[in-house]
Amino acid sequence: MSEHIRSWLNAYLDGELQGARLDQVRNHLQNCSECQRQLDQLRGLSGLLRGTAPLDEFLPAERFVANLTLRLPRQPAAPQTRKAGGLGWGWFVPLGLLAAWFFAQLTGRLTSLITSLASLGLLGDGLAWLPTGSARQIAWFGWLLNSLGAWTEWLAPLNQADLFLRGLTGQFFWQAVLGLIYLAWLARWWLGSQNRQAAPVVNG
Amino acid sequence: MAIPPAESETALIERARNGDRSAYGELVRQQHSGVINVVYRMCGDTQLAEDAAQEAFIQAWLNLPSFRPGSSLRNWLYRIAVNAALDSLRRAPKTPFVAFETLSAPDGQAGPEAALLQKERSRSVQKAISTLPEASRAVLVLREYGGLSYQEISTALDIPLGTVMSRLNYARERLKQILAPEFIDMEIEHV
Repeated sequence: MSEHIRSWLNAYLDGELQGARLDQVRNHLQNCSECQRQLDQLRGLSGLLRGTAPLDEFLPAERFVANLTLRLPRQPAAPQTRKAGGLGWGWFVPLGLLAAWFFAQLTGRLTSLITSLASLGLLGDGLAWLPTGSARQIAWFGWLLNSLGAWTEWLAPLNQADLFLRGLTGQFFWQAVLGLIYLAWLARWWLGSQNRQAAPVVNG
Repeated sequence: MAIPPAESETALIERARNGDRSAYGELVRQQHSGVINVVYRMCGDTQLAEDAAQEAFIQAWLNLPSFRPGSSLRNWLYRIAVNAALDSLRRAPKTPFVAFETLSAPDGQAGPEAALLQKERSRSVQKAISTLPEASRAVLVLREYGGLSYQEISTALDIPLGTVMSRLNYARERLKQILAPEFIDMEIEHV
């Protein structure tokens, strides 16, 4: 138990614990003199580290800044100059693709919904010109009616389900095209940003 | 160009990003003591620390366009400073550290030689820090002298939070062993 708490003493000292773990360490410290002694040592060490001044004086900040200014290159490396508008035209590519995809999705879904509602007779005769299903679909539903009798009235909506799926292949195709265009733009943008980063990378 | 005294750090950063040296100078003035302290504790040598701090601020100036507005400038600078300090140490000629046996604490009866005792203590502490592995030293320095939270250290050094904790535990345990117990006990009395 004591060993377990000891591994949390540093985090406790630094105020990094919270919740149940904090309560656990606090309770343990009240009953364990050994852990309390360890905590006091850590606190003493921390005070010692922070309390000792550097051996020599540093340059005053003003002189440091003056010396630094003399060594600074003329301009920050690769300053980001943007045209008016801030974001640049490149951002319109993904936004345009997203808008096109959203428009295609919305149009497709709305068409399917209206077609389904019309075929169920919920929209009256005003939309009678809309297609309501293929011959195969009608034949399939006729066979289902004969086979299951009265239960099929509950299954009528299912007959319209494939209206939502009919354009699926087309949707996949256009989504793939849009996706490829977007990825190509992303690759181009990434390559461009790599070239712009002429300044040395600050490693970790 | 005169700098208004109340100008915010964000405004100064924006001006510096556009190449304004006076704005950058003001930022350096604000961050100087923190950065120099971190670098000094990493290097253990005043002259080396001055050079490393200069190098760190030049690197920061060059990389300012890639600095993310809204993030902590201090933490970003500390990260650059730690790397600059380590680079300086690698370039500097190796000088053997004085053995710790010769740096033991003077007895408590120093009396009038308090200044000497303080200097001896500073030297011992810095030597002890210098013996730590670079990875643990960086975490300890950012915590004790940079005042960063564990999460901030994790972000600055790009290491997991658990690694921050384990390195800090190791560093403190090692320092407790190295530094004369009298020092720590003396500190406890003052806490």
